[in-house]
Amino acid sequence: MDPAVIKAREDRKKKKIEKQIRRLEKNARQLKPIEECEVPLGLLDEKKSRIRSLPALSTETLENRALLEKKWATYKKNQNLADIQMLDRIIFAQQKALDELRKESEELYQEAMQVDCRLLPYKTEGPLETPPIESYESPDGDYVDVSKKWE
Amino acid sequence: MTAVCLERKPVIVQELNKLESDYKNLLAEVEFERSLKSDHEVRHEKEIKQMEQLKKGGDVDVHLKQTAQESVDAWTEEASQFKFSSKITEADKQNDVKSLNRKLDKHLVLVVKQKVGKDSLYLLPQDLRQDGETLRQTAERVLKDACGSDVKAMIYGNAPFGFYKYKYPKHVRNENNSIGAKVFIYFARYQKGHLQSQNDYKWLDRAELEDILPPEYNKSVSQMLIDE
Repeated sequence: MDPAVIKAREDRKKKKIEKQIRRLEKNARQLKPIEECEVPLGLLDEKKSRIRSLPALSTETLENRALLEKKWATYKKNQNLADIQMLDRIIFAQQKALDELRKESEELYQEAMQVDCRLLPYKTEGPLETPPIESYESPDGDYVDVSKKWE
Repeated sequence: MTAVCLERKPVIVQELNKLESDYKNLLAEVEFERSLKSDHEVRHEKEIKQMEQLKKGGDVDVHLKQTAQESVDAWTEEASQFKFSSKITEADKQNDVKSLNRKLDKHLVLVVKQKVGKDSLYLLPQDLRQDGETLRQTAERVLKDACGSDVKAMIYGNAPFGFYKYKYPKHVRNENNSIGAKVFIYFARYQKGHLQSQNDYKWLDRAELEDILPPEYNKSVSQMLIDE
C-alpha cells in the first residue's frame, strides 16, 4: 500500500505544480498594454474642448506649401541619388585596390580578405547641435521609474 | 607601401540651408494646426478667464499658486541663462591647422610632411611594408609612428580602401631595380587622443586637401572618401 500511496501523493503534487506553471505561462502570453501607444480615455471625452479654432488658410499659403513640398521632394531625391553614386564610387575604389593587391601578391590579398572581428560590435555617438562645453559639471539627479510592472 | 588616412568625423551638424529650414518651419506649422491643446494651454486659458473675471470684480479667488504664465516666464529665464558653447571655436578664428577643434562640422584628414625623393611633400602618413607583416599591421605601425601612441583610432577592416601607383624617377629606378611603388591606403577613424609627431602635420578639410596634395594623389584619395 505504502509505495502506491506515496506515488499517488507525488503525482498529485506534480499535477498541482504543473497547473501553476501553465497558469503563469498563460499570464505571460497575454499582451501587455504600452502606455505611450494608447490614447488616454480622459482625452477622448475632452476632445471637443481641446480643438483649436484657427483662421482658415488662404489659397496663397496653400499654394506656397504645395510648391515647397515639391521642391523638397526633388531636393531629397537628388540627395539620395548623390549618396548612392558616392557609395558606388567608394566601393569601386576599394575593389580596384583589392585587385591591384591581388596582382601584387596572392598571400597579402588573402590576408586582406579576412573578416575583421574587431569591427563589430561598434558604438559611436553622432554629431550634435553644439560642441561639448569644456569642464562642464552636469547637475546630479536620480531617476525614479514609475512604469507599471506586469507579472 | 601602406598609407593611413586618419579622419576626424564631424562633431557638429552642418547648418541647414534655406530650403531645409523653410521645410522645417512648414512641418512645425502643420503639426501645430493639426494638434489638440495641451494641458498647459488649457490651464493657461482658464487662468486668463479667471483674471478677467477678477478685473470685473466678480470672484474673490486669490491666486496663491503660480500661474501658467509665470511658470513660462521663469522657464524662459532659466533657459536664456544657460550658455551653449559656440560652434565656431578659437582654433577656427586663428585658423590653426594643427588643432583638431577647427571646423567642427567637417571631416578633417591628417597629412604629414614627408620626404619623397628630393622634395618633402604633404602626404598621408605612409611607410614601406616590412617582410612578415600583413598590410593591416603595417597600417597600424604607420599610425603609431606618425601620431605617437596616445592616439586612438579604428582602422576599418583588413582590406585597403584606396590605391595609388606612381613611378620612380629614372635614377631611383636603376638603384632599386623597381619601376615604381604602389601605395595601399587604409582608412582609420580618429576617436580620441593627442597627436605627437616629430614632423610637420596638418588637419585639413576636403577643399584644403585638394589644394595641398599632388593632383593624381588627390584623385585617388578623394575617390575613397565621403563627399562633403
